[in-house]
Amino acid sequence: MNFLKKVTLQVLPKAEAHLSLGNNSAIHTSSVCCRVQSGRYRITVKRDRPLTYEMANPPHFIGHRKSWNSWNTSTLKDALRPSQTAIEDVFIRKFITGTWHALVCSEIIIKRQHNTIRIAAIIRQAIAQRKMYFLIGYTEELLSYWMQCPVTLEFQTVADKKDVVFKYI
Amino acid sequence: MTTNLVRLLECNIRNSKATVAQRTMRVFSSQQEQSSVEDDEEFRVLNLRTIKQQARRRVIKKDAVPPPRTTHMPVDQDWSAVWSGPRSFHPASVPLPLRQGYTERGAAAPSKYANAELMKIPNFLHLTPPAIRQQCEAIKKFCTPWPKGLESEATWKAIFPVEVITTDYCHSLPTIRHPEARRVTITLNLVDLKFDAHAKDKFLRLVGERYNQETGVLTFTADRCPTRKQNYDYALYLLTACYHESFVTEPWEASKSEADMEVYLFERNKAKLSAEAILNWNVNGEKQAPSATYAESVEKLINEGENEYNIAKYKEEVLKMLKIAN
Amino acid sequence: MLQPFRNLRLTLPARCASALSSIAANTTASSADASPAVNSGQIDKLYSKLEIELRGIDPAVLKSYTWFATTAAEHLGIELGKCWSPRKAHHERMTLLKSVHIYKKHRVQYEIRTHFRYMNFHKLTGSTLDTFLEYIERNLPEGVALQASKTELQQVPEHLQQPPEQV
Repeated sequence: MNFLKKVTLQVLPKAEAHLSLGNNSAIHTSSVCCRVQSGRYRITVKRDRPLTYEMANPPHFIGHRKSWNSWNTSTLKDALRPSQTAIEDVFIRKFITGTWHALVCSEIIIKRQHNTIRIAAIIRQAIAQRKMYFLIGYTEELLSYWMQCPVTLEFQTVADKKDVVFKYI
Repeated sequence: MTTNLVRLLECNIRNSKATVAQRTMRVFSSQQEQSSVEDDEEFRVLNLRTIKQQARRRVIKKDAVPPPRTTHMPVDQDWSAVWSGPRSFHPASVPLPLRQGYTERGAAAPSKYANAELMKIPNFLHLTPPAIRQQCEAIKKFCTPWPKGLESEATWKAIFPVEVITTDYCHSLPTIRHPEARRVTITLNLVDLKFDAHAKDKFLRLVGERYNQETGVLTFTADRCPTRKQNYDYALYLLTACYHESFVTEPWEASKSEADMEVYLFERNKAKLSAEAILNWNVNGEKQAPSATYAESVEKLINEGENEYNIAKYKEEVLKMLKIAN
Repeated sequence: MLQPFRNLRLTLPARCASALSSIAANTTASSADASPAVNSGQIDKLYSKLEIELRGIDPAVLKSYTWFATTAAEHLGIELGKCWSPRKAHHERMTLLKSVHIYKKHRVQYEIRTHFRYMNFHKLTGSTLDTFLEYIERNLPEGVALQASKTELQQVPEHLQQPPEQV
């Protein structure tokens, strides 16, 4: 759920502001951001918890040591549809982690360019190629139907899960 | 025949470890399976040392993963054919020893394989300098040169004084609409429109804030209509309406009193009467009018304020009018 | 007076030619311009300036894109104006409580940075502008928003050239 926190962190206040425009009598609540815990991992006693590069760098390094997982123009100044884009991104991430069950080794990177969505991730070579091709077509077809725009998957495969491990803590 | 053979074989094999062979035989003799099972029940053997009867796990046959494409790329390949469009980074297609990522001092950065950071950052691998040149040469036939004779701003301002400013937006959303794209701004210099004195005064009053006093530029901005075309038409309509309206003289405009005047006019004021009275003191015949230079100096003195030059000029004119030698 | 305009007429696209025809009425030059805009019979527009504003989250990407756009303009023979970026990004900050409930003195700030970059191109005809703008817009990387302000040159409309005769 790491990605969920990260996405909602950035956009939730904006989304709330957007919602409250039409409904002024709503109760004002501030979002729980869990700034102290989110995106950070504890050291285990045996020092055997595998971390990817993404997990090894806590969220405040975004833009310095690691880069963003969602690339779109909605978060920029005066941009349109910030909340819808964030919700769509969460949905895409959930759909892909569920469809490619136990195969996704990295964060899912969503890049939006014009009206197309390009999704990149690192996948384990645990299933046959035919199944993989089927899943690619299936995911692209369903997502492009739901998002109403062309969706492209750009996956990289690794032989083993250990290939993406950056360090053990 | 086969039944007998199977039974015989089974007796021999039961305690041996060749269970695989047994299974295959069974498959072949599936028709006679029933009878052989019954026979088995008749001659059940006490199995003291239990042998693991587990079937061996089926080994998933993995196809060999081919080596990365970079290993058999020629040195002089056409790169724009390899990487023709925008695409996330893929290490097997890029023959560069890239590394990306922050590490503690001394350690090497993570390599390009299984590196999510390289996949995140938008790459320009499809826009290498040769690719840009190639594409620009292909689209150059749609371009037209800037007409000769309009090189400097002064030359084109003389023929095309009106500037229409519109804005296009390009963003990564499923919609191509942007609410700000409807805005149209029309600017032109006031000197490009022809006026008489009354019309100019009225026009400036009509346009109000849209006229910049310092630069002399008129700016009409329209964003109230839903489309750009409508806004453009509306801005032009505003300009046209103001221009034509300024030439209309309403009947009530004649009742403008001295208090409403924004500039001092010699013709309309007491100064003229006084000057005439002084000039025509005890003159019965032809009346004398004050000179134009005197009128100008008085107007300047009052409109621009009292400064050294204006006062000196006024003094000179007064002396001249009164014919006093200094 | 007429001589410079006669030269002008020979090379101008159709619109300029029609604009000049009122001034230099007796020039008999045929506009034998080989540009596609003239061939298709459409009037080509003139743009004195194209200002492009880029917004993005990563300044390095904006820089690379600026390099690409200026190189493309160079290849297409478009006059390049000032290209610049403000030194500081725009920060949109949100200050929240660090804890869920109380402890007002302990806040946490989140910010979204937007980097800007500006490019100016001068003296483009309508077809050049459309070609160039479409080319660079098609190659816009993800996470970058583009905003193109076009300054079109027009004549004073005919009904505004002379004061109205009767009002």
